[in-house]
Amino acid sequence: MRPENYQAVKLGDSNEYEIFIGPNHPGIEGNYAFRLMLDGDIVVSGKADAGYLHRGFEKLMEGRLWIQNLAIVPRICVPDPAPMEVAYSMAVEEIMGIEAPIRAQWIRTMQLELSRVAAHLFTFGGHAATTGMYTPMFWGVADRDLVLDLFEDFTGGRVYSIYNIPGGVRRELPPEFLQKLSNLLDYLESRQNDYDNLLFTNQVFVERAKGCGALTQSQALELSVTGPNLRACGLAYDVRRDDPYLVYDELEFDIPRQKHGDAYSRILVRRDELFQSIRILRQIIERLPSIKGKIRTPIPNPLSWNVRKGEAYARVESSKGELAYYVVSDGGDKPYRVHVRGPSSMHAVQTLEFLAKGARLEDVAQIMFSLDACPPEVDR
Amino acid sequence: MNKVQIDEILNKVNGIKITHKRKTRIRVDVDADSLPTLLELIKGRASYIHLSAITCVDWIADNQFELVYHVWSYEEKCLISAHTRIDRGSEKNPAKYISVYDLFKPADFFERDIFEMYGVTFIGSPRMEKFILTEWNGVPPMLKDFDAEAYVQETFKWTDYNPDWLQELTDQGGGIAVKPEDIRTAGNTHNMSTHRERDKAKAAAVKANDKMQGWKQ
Amino acid sequence: MKKELKIKQKERTNPLAHVFDDFIRFCQSKSLFMLHYCTGCGAIELPPAMTSRFDMERLGIQPMVTPRQADILLITGYVSIKTLKRVILTYEQMQSPKYVIGICSCTVNGGMYWQSYATAKKLNEYMPVDVYIAGCMPRPEAVMAGLQRLKDNIRNDKKEHKGSAWKDYFKRYDYYLGNQQALFGEDWQTPTDIIAEAKLYGLETEETYGKHTKLLEKHQTPLLPQEMRIK
Repeated sequence: MRPENYQAVKLGDSNEYEIFIGPNHPGIEGNYAFRLMLDGDIVVSGKADAGYLHRGFEKLMEGRLWIQNLAIVPRICVPDPAPMEVAYSMAVEEIMGIEAPIRAQWIRTMQLELSRVAAHLFTFGGHAATTGMYTPMFWGVADRDLVLDLFEDFTGGRVYSIYNIPGGVRRELPPEFLQKLSNLLDYLESRQNDYDNLLFTNQVFVERAKGCGALTQSQALELSVTGPNLRACGLAYDVRRDDPYLVYDELEFDIPRQKHGDAYSRILVRRDELFQSIRILRQIIERLPSIKGKIRTPIPNPLSWNVRKGEAYARVESSKGELAYYVVSDGGDKPYRVHVRGPSSMHAVQTLEFLAKGARLEDVAQIMFSLDACPPEVDR
Repeated sequence: MNKVQIDEILNKVNGIKITHKRKTRIRVDVDADSLPTLLELIKGRASYIHLSAITCVDWIADNQFELVYHVWSYEEKCLISAHTRIDRGSEKNPAKYISVYDLFKPADFFERDIFEMYGVTFIGSPRMEKFILTEWNGVPPMLKDFDAEAYVQETFKWTDYNPDWLQELTDQGGGIAVKPEDIRTAGNTHNMSTHRERDKAKAAAVKANDKMQGWKQ
Repeated sequence: MKKELKIKQKERTNPLAHVFDDFIRFCQSKSLFMLHYCTGCGAIELPPAMTSRFDMERLGIQPMVTPRQADILLITGYVSIKTLKRVILTYEQMQSPKYVIGICSCTVNGGMYWQSYATAKKLNEYMPVDVYIAGCMPRPEAVMAGLQRLKDNIRNDKKEHKGSAWKDYFKRYDYYLGNQQALFGEDWQTPTDIIAEAKLYGLETEETYGKHTKLLEKHQTPLLPQEMRIK
């Protein structure tokens, strides 16, 4: 449509005007758009506009073999792909009635926690950048790269590892990997003070983030908010502890929480969670060498593999919240239906619309980044 | 709340079928009429307040949609999956169901998603409009009778990419030597018409099995 | 091979014109502003490439937030049809000379989403692409190598004619518009008047016009001067 054909929206005598944020905008996470009605710089109402990343994943998966789908599942959430593979594999295993060997479960847990560390480091940078601080972004991305190097070491892939298959994991750990992991954890712990000084106790950041996008616990429960965003409202709920999967019931870890439910609480929860993940990884380093055995339960030839009839709902805790896969099989060589419940599908649409109402225009980007919304999970 | 108590609450709904799958999963099958009652009951009486997801499954052979409501309780630490089946409808008379928005706010997102992808209208849902597929004019794409591959072949001209180097590789026996379709069809060779096809498929299957030997270990 | 299209070029009288051209190309290749449109997953490898580890600024390339001031348009991954409309709008807003880089296999031929009903398959059907960086997803090193290739192309444009793909959009506008119309419908319009720009740059050929541009004119209303009024 040419500009002269646009019909201007007449809003009567009010001062309200409409503004678009995104899809190509530095204050938007990924490829996503948000439509705001503003009065001055106060948001009167907001409406999410998704679909820019829509690939029809669920349709694609119905057209591919069970094993082929493993290559496309991690693409659903780019910053934190490991939980996707694990959730899909767990769902297929539940339908088949098999279980991964214990050593594979430990390795999977390690992969999930490493992925959480990488995703949180990335989020710190993004959140800080929306308040005008760019140094944490440089640090976070550089430190995340060290985690990605480890991923490359043991899975072969930097971002998308495609390391899990139903029945276990694909490769044994390389020699001396645990030593490398231990060194990385030492390094990350040594950075704690630097990050605290630069970001978490920095007045410039604290003043901006405190009270921004506050959510009470009852509002959060009503909107199905999960993950760190819910824990920032004071409810210590974590799928890892409350609906245990893999070997999380054998590991010791705390569930950090905060009271106020604002952007600052959310980033503090993520900071604490990062160090809890390091604590879990240390336990894994200690226990893993003593766990011997196979890493894969044999499955039939994957190219002519019919999974028996059934359905399963597998949930894991990703770095953003509760991630679930609902997989239905009709006994064929392809899934009959796969439904992905991404945590951000709750955070980026209804919660963001709710929080944007009454916020200032410059805070909208910060609210979105503080919710750690990942648009591909909405669009799929 | 133990197993008996939750069964007692669930059994108040007519025609219910309960399956305890494992400790944290209960599958429930109900009629389409009594599903909202069930959700209201477990929300009010058994603290199932977190709507995890609503899934729609298209059972085209039965001419039905299956709607699955996954509801989680923070206190019971248990997930109830309530399954119900509704009529699939037709193009002129699309499927309809009742919205559960007044019970669970997130139903807004999931119901709108199902409306777009399957064409089920939820009566009482606040935003029955296009959200993700605003630039899409065809039938709801997740329906089983929509063939995505045929649509792609028709719309996009992407398959004309056949450079010389790929042709050379294929002539030498490289490239895509064993296609997955060949292996799958090798299992039911009786469908094949000619001997030549059958032999070709068998050879492909043998070749694939050889490749897979190392992989199984 | 594409046939060579004839341009009605103005006569250049300045004897130093070619020297200036060389110098301009040299300067251009050393300072490029990049607009990255996060159309897909490839965007996740750009922060590492831009920040301290791989440091894109060594090559003289910096991110830019607005299309009007950018030289490079980075398309990072699969392009869904809804995004493609925005990508074309963004591309047409950019000032010439402009360069497009397609990152990830999905921009080359659809990649792993070849079956998908929602993604466009080949980016160069809708706009001329200078460099493709294949891979799913390409590592930051590959991104850097691709950018380096683009720089070399711009620098050696006089000899190799690889760095002026943007001219193709003006020369063969009818072809690109036809592909866009096939996807978005006949009444597809953009705010930029490409034909007028082609005339301005002296890049109109016989393939600039065709049946698709005729359709465009049918739906288009003539641009009238806007009335300015201050209350």
